[in-house]
Amino acid sequence: MTDATAPDPPSLFERYRVPLGLVVLVLALRPVVSSDLLLGFEAIANRMLILMLFVAAFNLLFGFTGLLSFGHAMFLGFGVYVPAIVVVNGLPGLPPGGSLTFLAGVVLALLAVAVFSYLLARLIVGKGEIYFALLTLAVSQAVYFVALRDPGGLTGGSNGLTRGALPAFVEQSRGHITIHAFGLSVDWYWVVGAVFLVAMVGLWQVLRSPFGRTLVAIRDNEQLARAMGVDTTSYKVWSLTFSGLLAAVAGVLLEINNSGASIENLGVLTSGDTVLMAVLGGINYFFGPIAGTFTWLFAEDFLTDFEVLHLPTAEVSLVSVDLGPAFQFWQFFLGALFVVVVLTAPEEGIWGYVRSLSARVKRRLVER
Amino acid sequence: MTRPSDEGRLDGPAQDAPDSGRGGSGRGVEPEMDPQSAVLGVADLTRTFGEIVAVDGASLAVEAGELRAVIGPNGAGKTTLFNCVMGALAPTAGSVYLNGRDITDDPEERRPHLGMARSFQSNLLFGDQSVLENVRLVVQTARKGAFSLDLFRPHHDVGRDRAAAIAETVGLDADLGTEAKNLSHGDQRRLGIAMALATEPDVLLLDEPTSGMSPGATAQTAQLIQDIRDDRGLTVVLVEHDMDVVLSISDRVTVLDRGQVIATAPPAEVQNDQAVQDAYLGGMREEL
Repeated sequence: MTDATAPDPPSLFERYRVPLGLVVLVLALRPVVSSDLLLGFEAIANRMLILMLFVAAFNLLFGFTGLLSFGHAMFLGFGVYVPAIVVVNGLPGLPPGGSLTFLAGVVLALLAVAVFSYLLARLIVGKGEIYFALLTLAVSQAVYFVALRDPGGLTGGSNGLTRGALPAFVEQSRGHITIHAFGLSVDWYWVVGAVFLVAMVGLWQVLRSPFGRTLVAIRDNEQLARAMGVDTTSYKVWSLTFSGLLAAVAGVLLEINNSGASIENLGVLTSGDTVLMAVLGGINYFFGPIAGTFTWLFAEDFLTDFEVLHLPTAEVSLVSVDLGPAFQFWQFFLGALFVVVVLTAPEEGIWGYVRSLSARVKRRLVER
Repeated sequence: MTRPSDEGRLDGPAQDAPDSGRGGSGRGVEPEMDPQSAVLGVADLTRTFGEIVAVDGASLAVEAGELRAVIGPNGAGKTTLFNCVMGALAPTAGSVYLNGRDITDDPEERRPHLGMARSFQSNLLFGDQSVLENVRLVVQTARKGAFSLDLFRPHHDVGRDRAAAIAETVGLDADLGTEAKNLSHGDQRRLGIAMALATEPDVLLLDEPTSGMSPGATAQTAQLIQDIRDDRGLTVVLVEHDMDVVLSISDRVTVLDRGQVIATAPPAEVQNDQAVQDAYLGGMREEL
């Protein structure tokens, strides 16, 4: 639940525990997931941070404004495709593959997505919840099919854009990405981490500002908000604009991470997974999308790679059970978890469980 | 409007009542002033839902500082009239004036900024938020306007003290940190009034502020409404079902029956009005 304003102003730690938590997350995520006990490889951490940002952007709209978008992949797609198109083709005065070309593409992408999402929002935000969901789905499908048609040879159709889609400052060798800038070489993870932190702290500030509190009020009771003088339409429009912008930032990171643009980034499955990850994690909480995305990607990799369950007590091969075939259906297990979450604690999600569990532990400790 | 002729209790005198109410003929009904020169004016307002005429040419003129009650039996069109005045429903015909300005076409969310605020009949609140945050949100909206991209500071810096002061005037100062959904029914009502007050209105419209309250809480709320009017010099319009509340605190009473104003007069006169007794008090007796 959103925190009730306590009569006393919150302490310094209370005030800044979210940014603090984000820093801890960025510092700890890679060592944790790459340990041999868990996934055992590093690259997944990049993908996790990028998708966490994307799902958090989606949840600004869903969890904190009450608007369900079934087409959020289109905003991600802007961030993926526009820089890719620009860096592959170049711009007047800027050669293909150049670092400045790419940066120009990023600026262009963010401008384009801001204008696009603002205009789209003005068009569809007043139509009621179910129509909003359907219209976002319809528009994102339209965007998908435009990209699939490869207009002017720009988007690469079903192949996407991979050749020459990385700018000069990115070095990619054997799955490991390094960024070279200003004479420095930086591991890609730290660049992702820095962008993630800036974007997420920005989102956090939006949510705790008077603007963000009004969004939550609209989500809780739109009729009351309007009667109290809130122009609910304008607030929703700007919520969608910010959400689209943040999603596009995640898209730009994904472009470098995947060495180009892929048509799946725009697809309806990407949009659908986003909804599921947010709900799984808990849409009422800032850290909900982060928890949901982590669980989703972790399950995807862990369960897919899982082959043999060695029961630790027995070294005899007879009790080694090959579970590989069963775990191929990792989405089935995620689906089961999803059903449990929605049936027992919709809106609370995994992060809601974590919170109530830690609150219970804290109470126990205080009692002793 | 044609009325079903099989209704026995509204015969001869009641048929004439709408005209006498609006025109202010004899029978002790005070002549109403021109709606355009009143603080809150309603001129020939009609609202239909398909075949049903919920409000039928109702006119009101509420003077500055007045405490006006609007009463009527169930289904008389009180809440529909209220919603049309507040912009939650668009009138089919007629106009609404605030301080002489025609606000009929102003959207609902602009009206609090023009100087009129409402409380709801059902307890509409931001239930998961604290009492303080409920009021603070309204203070923030009143200060910042209907829309504001205020992004760069924490929300608790905006309107906190003002919100606490308003909560205190309705007697909720001990519950500032309580979630609204955990308040008692009467306290939720009071919070609704506090939120309406937080818009700094000239005209306060209260939709059945004492419904569902115990007699004790009803008397308390009636006192609160009177105090608010006296302290702030507000104009208050009260839609009420409870006759005792109406008779004790209102300056004038407008009686609505089947969507029409059948009388507007001080409480004592309304009590003795034959048409009102037939339409409303008779109806009450039947209900009892």
